[in-house]
Amino acid sequence: MRALDVVSRWVITVGGIGTVVAVSTVFLLLLWVVFPLLLPARASRPGRLAAEGVARALRVGVDDYRSIVWLLRADGTLAARSFDSGALLEQRRLFPGRTISAAAFSAGGTAVALGFADGSVALGSIGFRTSFVDDDAAAPALRRIAAGARAIEGAAVVQRISPTQLRLQQLDVAFEEPVAGASTAPVLLLDRSGAGDAGSYAEVHADGAFQIVRLTRRENMLTGEIATSRTPTALPNPLTPGEPAPGWLLLSDSGDSALLAWKDGRGSRYLLRDAASAPVVEAVALLEDRGRALTAVSWLLGRTTVLAGDSAGGIGAWFPSRLTPDSPPLLVRAHFFEGAGSPVTTIDSSSRSRVLIAGFADGTLDVRHVTSHKLLAHLTAAAVGAVEAAALSPKDDGVVALAGGGIAHWAFDPGHPETSPRALFLPIWYEGAPGPEHVWQSSAATDDFEPKLGLIPLIFGTLKATVYSLVFGVPIALLAAIFTSEFLSPRLRGKIKPVVELMASLPSVVLGFLAALVIAPFVAARLADFLALIIVGPVVFLAGAYLWQLIPYRLTLRFERWRFPAMFLAIPAALLAARTLGPVLERFCFSGDIMHWLAGGGGPAGGWAYLLVAPAGLAVILLLARFVNPRLNEASRRWTRARCAWIELGKFAGSLVVAVAVAAAVGGALALLGLDPRGPLLGTYVQRNSLVVGFVMGFAIIPIIYTIAEDALAAVPDHLRSASLASGATPWQTAWRIVIPTAMSGLFSAVMIGFGRAVGETMIVLMAAGNTPILEWNIFNGFRTLSANIAVELPEAVRNSTHYRTLFLAALVLFVMTFVLNTCAEIVRIRFRKKAMEL
Amino acid sequence: MTAPAPAGFGHRRRERTRASLFVQGEPLIWIMGGGLVIAIAMIAGLLGLIADAGFSTFVPRPVARIRTAAGKVLMGEIERTEERPGGAGGRRLVRVGNFELTGEHFVWVDEAQIVAEDRPSRALVVERQEWGRFYGEPVGFLIAGAPAAAGPDEAWRLYLKHHGEVRDRWNVRRRIETKDVGAVNRRVERARLVLRDAERTGGTGSATHEAAKLRFAAVEAGVMREFERLRSEIQELNKANRKYQLVLRTADGIEKEIALAEIVRAYPANDLSFASRSRIYLDRWREFLFDEPREANSEGGVFPAIFGTVIMTLVMSVVVVPFGVMAALYLREYARSGAVVSAVRISINNLAGVPSIVFGVFGLGFFCYFMGTSIDQLFFAANLPNPTFGKGGVLWASLTLSLLTLPVVIVATEEALSAVPNSLREGSYACGASKWQTIRRIVLPRAMPGIMTGMILAMARGAGEVAPLMLVGAVKLAPELPLDTIPPFVHAQRSFMHLGFHIYDLGFQSQNSEAAKPMVFTTTLLLIAVVFLLNVIAVRLRTRLRRRFESEKF
Repeated sequence: MRALDVVSRWVITVGGIGTVVAVSTVFLLLLWVVFPLLLPARASRPGRLAAEGVARALRVGVDDYRSIVWLLRADGTLAARSFDSGALLEQRRLFPGRTISAAAFSAGGTAVALGFADGSVALGSIGFRTSFVDDDAAAPALRRIAAGARAIEGAAVVQRISPTQLRLQQLDVAFEEPVAGASTAPVLLLDRSGAGDAGSYAEVHADGAFQIVRLTRRENMLTGEIATSRTPTALPNPLTPGEPAPGWLLLSDSGDSALLAWKDGRGSRYLLRDAASAPVVEAVALLEDRGRALTAVSWLLGRTTVLAGDSAGGIGAWFPSRLTPDSPPLLVRAHFFEGAGSPVTTIDSSSRSRVLIAGFADGTLDVRHVTSHKLLAHLTAAAVGAVEAAALSPKDDGVVALAGGGIAHWAFDPGHPETSPRALFLPIWYEGAPGPEHVWQSSAATDDFEPKLGLIPLIFGTLKATVYSLVFGVPIALLAAIFTSEFLSPRLRGKIKPVVELMASLPSVVLGFLAALVIAPFVAARLADFLALIIVGPVVFLAGAYLWQLIPYRLTLRFERWRFPAMFLAIPAALLAARTLGPVLERFCFSGDIMHWLAGGGGPAGGWAYLLVAPAGLAVILLLARFVNPRLNEASRRWTRARCAWIELGKFAGSLVVAVAVAAAVGGALALLGLDPRGPLLGTYVQRNSLVVGFVMGFAIIPIIYTIAEDALAAVPDHLRSASLASGATPWQTAWRIVIPTAMSGLFSAVMIGFGRAVGETMIVLMAAGNTPILEWNIFNGFRTLSANIAVELPEAVRNSTHYRTLFLAALVLFVMTFVLNTCAEIVRIRFRKKAMEL
Repeated sequence: MTAPAPAGFGHRRRERTRASLFVQGEPLIWIMGGGLVIAIAMIAGLLGLIADAGFSTFVPRPVARIRTAAGKVLMGEIERTEERPGGAGGRRLVRVGNFELTGEHFVWVDEAQIVAEDRPSRALVVERQEWGRFYGEPVGFLIAGAPAAAGPDEAWRLYLKHHGEVRDRWNVRRRIETKDVGAVNRRVERARLVLRDAERTGGTGSATHEAAKLRFAAVEAGVMREFERLRSEIQELNKANRKYQLVLRTADGIEKEIALAEIVRAYPANDLSFASRSRIYLDRWREFLFDEPREANSEGGVFPAIFGTVIMTLVMSVVVVPFGVMAALYLREYARSGAVVSAVRISINNLAGVPSIVFGVFGLGFFCYFMGTSIDQLFFAANLPNPTFGKGGVLWASLTLSLLTLPVVIVATEEALSAVPNSLREGSYACGASKWQTIRRIVLPRAMPGIMTGMILAMARGAGEVAPLMLVGAVKLAPELPLDTIPPFVHAQRSFMHLGFHIYDLGFQSQNSEAAKPMVFTTTLLLIAVVFLLNVIAVRLRTRLRRRFESEKF
């Protein structure tokens, strides 16, 4: 028996603590998945290979598996070396009879164009050939290669990739025969876009001949031969006698614009709208600092952003952008990275992300994500000597750089370069945008699309949903709770409370579906009636109260128990009144057609009047309470109850008229001042909008707030009520002056818990909010919340990708938000309980 | 905590006859009452709307034939009538069906355009296996391509005579297709996995691999023969069924033959007695509750969704109750009260407020990706890279929801434990019982109704929750149930259908949303009924529990 006791104690203790710990793993797992987002990029396993030759280096490159490094020099020597040992695999001279005077490479280096001193241009590629060999077919020496190990076989690097298979990797160089260019003068500058036979290239010759050549592939139907045709477009001579020639030529991806840049920071943009019309030439500046000179210019991935490095080590990223919606796109410097002072010697872009690699004259390298500004690595390639060429491997997992007479290389793990606290929570200037902005756009149809992972629009959407639903839900829930606790008979209360509590268990998917398929179309069809109802509803209830007061005093007590049922009559009355007033409202306030009005048609006066009716009403009530009611109270001592009731009714009717008149007058005045309510809060109507979500989500939070608030009110000790009533206070005065102030903290915690519930609600917003991530308070527009975003995107996110981790971060934000809210509410609630016990 | 409101305000008020009207605050009381009235009206309106739409979905509606001013003749069920915005008159949504002929399921008709309308007594509503409904009048009946009926009435008679047997054959065929063919496929798949395993462990060319290869070839050959046999059986049934065709004429005079096997149900909508109406109504409910969905879930039944919801909820409660009770016992009976315990209690209360989607994210990251992939690598390596447990499934969904509902059970159990008077415990100790004996024999039995309440509340919460399930395994269509007659009977890794997710999918993702609408309402009605029923039971249990203990207090 003792043993059983001990065992049970242990099992329960371990199980109990284990359960509580298991629950805290929720938070830990989220952190664990999110954490890598914050990890810096890592460059490891540095190495150095020999690189003979003295001619200027044109380009260095590396293959997918980081097994081969190649280096092309201006004298045409192309050398391939093993990445591991540095052993020379092959070396050849491209176009031995010619002198290379210009060269151009695509990002990653695969597509190449070479320009020669005789004015001709050769297109080609420097790539890699990968083949797979089964063990059975391989040479005996190769069969002995251990798993994962590499060996050199001729010009190829061989690696075992499975117990039965080997992979052979070798350099693959192919060039077409050189073709005569626009002139026979040496090619000064060259750039090419696209790969293979398609695309285009641009050339500038030493005599000023300048042309863009478009390549088109045509397959001969009969022979199957593929012919490449070239369509040249001549551009004006960019050279000015006596002045230095331009230093760089950049051709856009589609081949319809070219940029020439001079060392002093001047630039010219040539825009080819179509083949027939003359090109537009536009002067641009690529330096904002006059004391500096341009030292390196290159495209970023996608060939839209120009990277311009200067003599002080600064790098600017420029792209065309419309600063205002109507202005033509102009080149603007969207990002600038200040350097350490040493001039930039080479810039290249990653072939898969918006990461740049820049080499400096002091032998150091920077790897940086352009959009997020995140510095991924700062490496030293050589202690002495400038970096001549640098490149990232095709998978961004390696860095190679030619500096100080050797090739330095690193294994590189970029981590999650596109996210940083700055990119997640601050406005970011994305390519082509007019300025820094908050954007969430995680995927798109095109390939070179950059994911925009700003969480602010989602957090904003979450708050917007919460605010609108609280605006609707909190008053109803609190008023209902106060009424239930203070003015309802215990018998009725025992029946009504469970019904409202039952509503808390209503699955939110049901509410979401009703919101999207029933309520949203209904509200869209009867918007004016709905807006009228918001104003008319309270007025009808007030009118009911004033009419109720007219009942002779004798009968009041007998009718007391019918008061609550009578209130239900106000609902059809309000609906009827709204139905009647809706068209009137639409006619007078919204110039006859509310949708048209919201879209910007008609005058603003009516809209102002509508918006101001409620504030005006409140103001009138406050003024009456402050200045009129005390006097009436004084005077009423001599009056009969019936007379009081009639005076009250008259007062009510009068204040109604005054409120409407004041609203109309102020609205008119505001309209005269040229102010328009359509803007931040009102705007174009979308069927799935915040009004609908606020209304339906109100449904979801009313039962929760109601239950907790009612519990808090019920916890106020009865002797307080009894004392108040015994001192002659009316039930209303008791509720207002004694019960509510005592229960205030409990009511507050009820609202907080409702807030927490609204923040995390998923299905309603997913189905009824339209899910567009915009930053706009417009009540007639949709939004996208953190929770809906997770529900939509997480099933499709690739595991452990940046997107996946960012969605986990969204979940973490949500978790923290609700946890903070709930903890506050809980602490307040416990305090309140203690206080209530003490009373 | 419950404090009865001071009764008898009325009496007191009688003594204050001279109190001014102005301090009674009647208008503000009405505003407060308004809050309650609005809340109640909203609840009633919502439930009424769902009940009305849900219960009326399956009522057979009459078929109207409408001739428009443009000379078009439409025949179909009138779904609803609505006012056009801007006072342009009414318009009707007519379900015209006959999708393969018209390309539309629904047509809006302006009331102003209608020149004639009647209800042909012979008009049939034909619910088909595919292509949605068909509306037409019977004109003939074909048996093996030859006309067998002289007139419409005889055609209808022949339809009634043959439909039953044809559908029986169709059901046999479907059983063969799903069950027998599935069994054969599984045999091949199993043999393939054995082969894969042999290749993986022994390498290609090893003796075990060669042997496995031979075995696989033998199984494959046997399976091919089996397939052949099943195929001929199916063809036989199809041939027998294809003989019977009903010829229908649409409103615009096109004649169309429909195979009897394709017809799920047909009835003359304008010529129904009350009894046959009720029969159709009940039969549709039967189909809804016990059949599988068809037509992209917009027709047929929701049985797999009901089954999936029930299984998931049961597994969830099997997991959550022991752990929840253990945690509550620890907190209430074993742990010494102090700052730590109250902090734990606060965080448990808080967890009830953590958004459900966060639990879904956790379930995906921890159960599906972390635990699932580990299990796959250990036990299902032959199947990789196809995940077995490394994706959403009913087990992971249940575990995720049990985390979500854990606070509910803990709080309810704690409340029940604290309601057991200490005098009982002390009495037990005084009789020489040990702590565990006291808990087992005295405390737990008395707390049982409370624990049951917690479990039922957790089940209600779990059954209605959708957001986390979207991430951990609920799918729009799962042909295989997580529990069936195929060994090993329990398939905890399978994705499943869920009533709540079904509502989301039908209401939000469906292409033919107008046709899916009635189905959403009935599914909603079903889900609400289940959730509310569970809740009402829980509330009843709780009240009974409270009452019992009040009388038991010393």
